[in-house]
Amino acid sequence: MATSRSDLGAPDELSERERDAVEAQLFRLADDEYIQAERYTFWQVRAPTLESDLAVANNAQDELGHARLWYDAIQQFGYSEESLLWESEPDDFQHSTLVELPFSEGDWGDAILRGYLYDVAEEIRLAALEESTYREIRERTSRIQGEEDYHVEHAENWLRRMADDEEARQRVQAALDRLYPYALTLFEPVGDIEEDIVDLGIRDATLEEMRDEWQERTTAFLTDLGFEVPTDAEPATPTGRDNEHTQHWHDLHEEMVSSYRNLGRHEATTLMDDE
Amino acid sequence: MNIEEVKEQAEPRAFSPRDDLPREYREAATRMLEFHANSEIMGAYLERPFIRKAPSLERKMAFSAKTQDEIGHGQMLYRAAESLGIKTRDEMLEDLANGDGKFLNCFHYPMERYVETPMIAFFVDGAAMRRQATLKSSSWEPYAHAMDKICFEEGMHVKHGESILRELMSGSKKEQEMTQEAFEEWWPRILQFFGPTDDQSTHHDFAEQVGLKTKSNDELRNAFLNTYMPKAEKYGLEIPEEPRIRDNGDGTYEVVEDDLDWEEFFTVSKNEYAGSKQQIDSRARAQEAVQWVRDMLDGQATTGDGPTPQAAD
Repeated sequence: MATSRSDLGAPDELSERERDAVEAQLFRLADDEYIQAERYTFWQVRAPTLESDLAVANNAQDELGHARLWYDAIQQFGYSEESLLWESEPDDFQHSTLVELPFSEGDWGDAILRGYLYDVAEEIRLAALEESTYREIRERTSRIQGEEDYHVEHAENWLRRMADDEEARQRVQAALDRLYPYALTLFEPVGDIEEDIVDLGIRDATLEEMRDEWQERTTAFLTDLGFEVPTDAEPATPTGRDNEHTQHWHDLHEEMVSSYRNLGRHEATTLMDDE
Repeated sequence: MNIEEVKEQAEPRAFSPRDDLPREYREAATRMLEFHANSEIMGAYLERPFIRKAPSLERKMAFSAKTQDEIGHGQMLYRAAESLGIKTRDEMLEDLANGDGKFLNCFHYPMERYVETPMIAFFVDGAAMRRQATLKSSSWEPYAHAMDKICFEEGMHVKHGESILRELMSGSKKEQEMTQEAFEEWWPRILQFFGPTDDQSTHHDFAEQVGLKTKSNDELRNAFLNTYMPKAEKYGLEIPEEPRIRDNGDGTYEVVEDDLDWEEFFTVSKNEYAGSKQQIDSRARAQEAVQWVRDMLDGQATTGDGPTPQAAD
């Protein structure tokens, strides 16, 4: 548990140790949301119905909005959107490998289950950040929480329906077996800095505590629907948290930065001012 | 009501599902609405790669939101079409997937490069705005009603497109050249957006007589050129010499029809162009791949077990 609960102060008031720990927490928040959103957009204009197309677009835009909030907090330490997203290398990112995996065409079961596993973890993480000693995290957390509740509810409704249908059930089970080790990487450490994150009160639960809560919640819900949860799985490697990623991320990253590069851009546009 | 009565009573928002309308009217209105709804879907499909390829986080968000709006427009327009009692939404979507559904010419040309995006998001959407604003006065009330919301959102889309164009044309020389090149490629297609001149148009007479449509192709093309040629020039684009556009000096223009490739246009409008096939078929494959989900939803709606259909939406 944290030894001190006092506010860490403004971005320029942090000691080196505090700043490193705050950054470590912020990078995974931002990168997870950014790439989860990116993969969601695969389903835009490809979802099963017009209604589910609208819903998946909502989720993607929520996550993009959250990513923007977290990157904005990171930029207070002197980074720019360009250096973070457009002129960086794939290995600069620390998102969990769960969110970088591509979807197979038509695998809506994967989309829903992945959203569920991710969003429950996100809810638990945000709860542990509610009273963060770093104000920029605390304030953003409360802005984001309401939307994540809705995401979990949306995924749970779909999973209930799919559990009731033979083909859908098999697809979800297959996705569960495949994705579970990757989902565990959400709780993998970046390195020694993890202890500081909790000691400094930036987050008030350890990765192990959050993983246990996540396993308890997801296992109870999924088992109740008749799914078999592979709880004794080991986390997949690479984990993403250690800046090592699957080839899927390298390919995706290249596509994402392609226009910026082809145009020979040096600046990423922000729209708030002129529109 | 017979056709003569419909023609006499035709005025903005005159008819609704409460009226007993002749089949000819309902078919004509269905054809227009289905074409419009299909165009929203195929326009969204054309732009979707640029959610991923947009060169800034906020541009990415704008592309995602725009694509979502268009799906929402499609949903509204299919609903307005269904209310005519000729075709169900499922039938229209099925026709779109199997290549029988028709949609706007510009959405048959796959986009490869980011510099092409304002050709759709500014010029084509701007052209669409011209047409759509007049449809607020359509005699089919559900159509006119849908246009109230759609026009508002389209206005935002055109601003988004204009912002991209302005940025590209005030960027590096390379960006400006690439954008000019894309403009030259797209300009003839954009001119053909309004279809052939009035004397060549087939469906127009009836649609105008019954108030479904309130402006002719020529009037709409003139209104578009009056606004958008100066805008293109303002941002530094050069209007290509061909197709020739004669300024009549009275706010009207004459596009020299022979300078446009009408054979290609009619191939496109029959869904037989290479790009048509590419767009229709790749979307159809994506839709086919999630047929199992729709089957599941249909089965559960029929048997009534499981949560309500809305719950998963």
